[in-house]
Amino acid sequence: MSDNDCQTETRQPKKQRFSKPAAAPSTENMTDSKRAIIESFTFYRDQLDAHYDQRERVIKISRDVTALSKKIVFSLLRITQEPAAKVFKDAEQKHSAVLDLFAKMSVELQGSNGYKYNRQATPGLQEYIEALGLWFFLRDNTLISKEQVEEMIGSKGAKVLVTDDDYVLGISDLPGEVNRYCINAIGKGDHEAVRNSLMFLRSLKEGINLIMTSGRIRDLNKKLDVLDSSLQKTEQAYYSMSIRGSEMQTVNSAAAAGEPMVIG
Amino acid sequence: MDVQLFVDLQDRLDEASTLFESIKTAVKDLNKTCRLTSAKLAKAHAVPQAQTSEITDSVSPQFAEIKQKISELRSLIQPVTFYKYNDMWSYAMQTACALTVFTVYLKHGRLASPEDIEEYLGPKVNVSNGEVTEFVITIEEYLHGVVSLFGELSRLAVNAVIVGDVGRPLEISRFASELYSGFQLLNLKNDMLRRRFDSIKYDIKKIEEVQYDLRVRGLTS
Repeated sequence: MSDNDCQTETRQPKKQRFSKPAAAPSTENMTDSKRAIIESFTFYRDQLDAHYDQRERVIKISRDVTALSKKIVFSLLRITQEPAAKVFKDAEQKHSAVLDLFAKMSVELQGSNGYKYNRQATPGLQEYIEALGLWFFLRDNTLISKEQVEEMIGSKGAKVLVTDDDYVLGISDLPGEVNRYCINAIGKGDHEAVRNSLMFLRSLKEGINLIMTSGRIRDLNKKLDVLDSSLQKTEQAYYSMSIRGSEMQTVNSAAAAGEPMVIG
Repeated sequence: MDVQLFVDLQDRLDEASTLFESIKTAVKDLNKTCRLTSAKLAKAHAVPQAQTSEITDSVSPQFAEIKQKISELRSLIQPVTFYKYNDMWSYAMQTACALTVFTVYLKHGRLASPEDIEEYLGPKVNVSNGEVTEFVITIEEYLHGVVSLFGELSRLAVNAVIVGDVGRPLEISRFASELYSGFQLLNLKNDMLRRRFDSIKYDIKKIEEVQYDLRVRGLTS
């Protein structure tokens, strides 16, 4: 009997959480203390709602930045299939759309709000830095700097906070894409591309290892594993290419000397 | 590739981690003072209402110390990076708010306003969603402090009966339900504040049970 009582008593109040009043109740017929509480909490609610809405807007923009940045990466990776000029022009067009998104984001991230909503902004930023990083690598064979990232974001006047963490996490996503590019390049027999990729990945690994000692960047460890495996894949690919290359040379010189080819 | 880029980056990260350590130490100090204050203030549960002013008077040096610790923490933080580190002291600040809210209730029988918090702890409560241009107590930290009061109130209702204040539970119950109706106005997201809000009803229930026990035995009119 007492068990039963207890059950119904604990279950009933649970329903209350779904029946919150939408507006402040009328403050007539209230004690002064209750009126004061209702008035201040109505104000708090409006302020909290404004905060949640703003956070939601940053999340949405960040998600859009992510989607567009991924598209930039994909069009850049077509560089082994299409003329470089066309690929960069394509990326430029998409990039312009990203800049418009940053202009919208910039409004939400003024002053102290930069860090307040950084957690919501960072996924988009990291993806964008990755795309820019790939772009700079393919075009100039260099690693993009944080200042260059800020410059690019600001090229249409947007001012978005890029933290060191955003930057490091963004560039540590690069190896996967560089490796993809490298594999495509092998298919085309582009030795220079493969060599560049390998050099780039090696120095990126050195650099990131250097800052690992100061520690404390979240998720960096996980990304470092991906970096290592990308580097290994690239080295393996370079190795195969070198072996086959010297094989081909032997075959070619043999053919030139008019000797029969030995197969198997 | 330029190695200098990473060397510079490392310098900045090292600098950040030095600051991180200083904040951690300051927060630890603040937490320690809060715990001491909390222990002193808890004596209010063991005395009749007439004697609570002795208890609340006895913690005023503790509040001065809390204020001091907060101002030490405050001196470490640039306003623009306020939210970068806010998580580190948020819990300690919630505790400090809770102590203030409980003290103000014991003294005046009302809810501590943001102005009360400022008076006791130093920084302003940022009740608006605007940008922060100085070290503040966030609205969430304040509301966490207020939620903590329900736990104290339900304990106080029980303990009032123990020390013979049979009229007090009714007064506590009225106040708790007024405050609860305030919280019900908030559209909380699924965060810590929401979870704590959801458990308020158990404290309310406990207070009501005390009243029921008193009424059923004819101990109150």
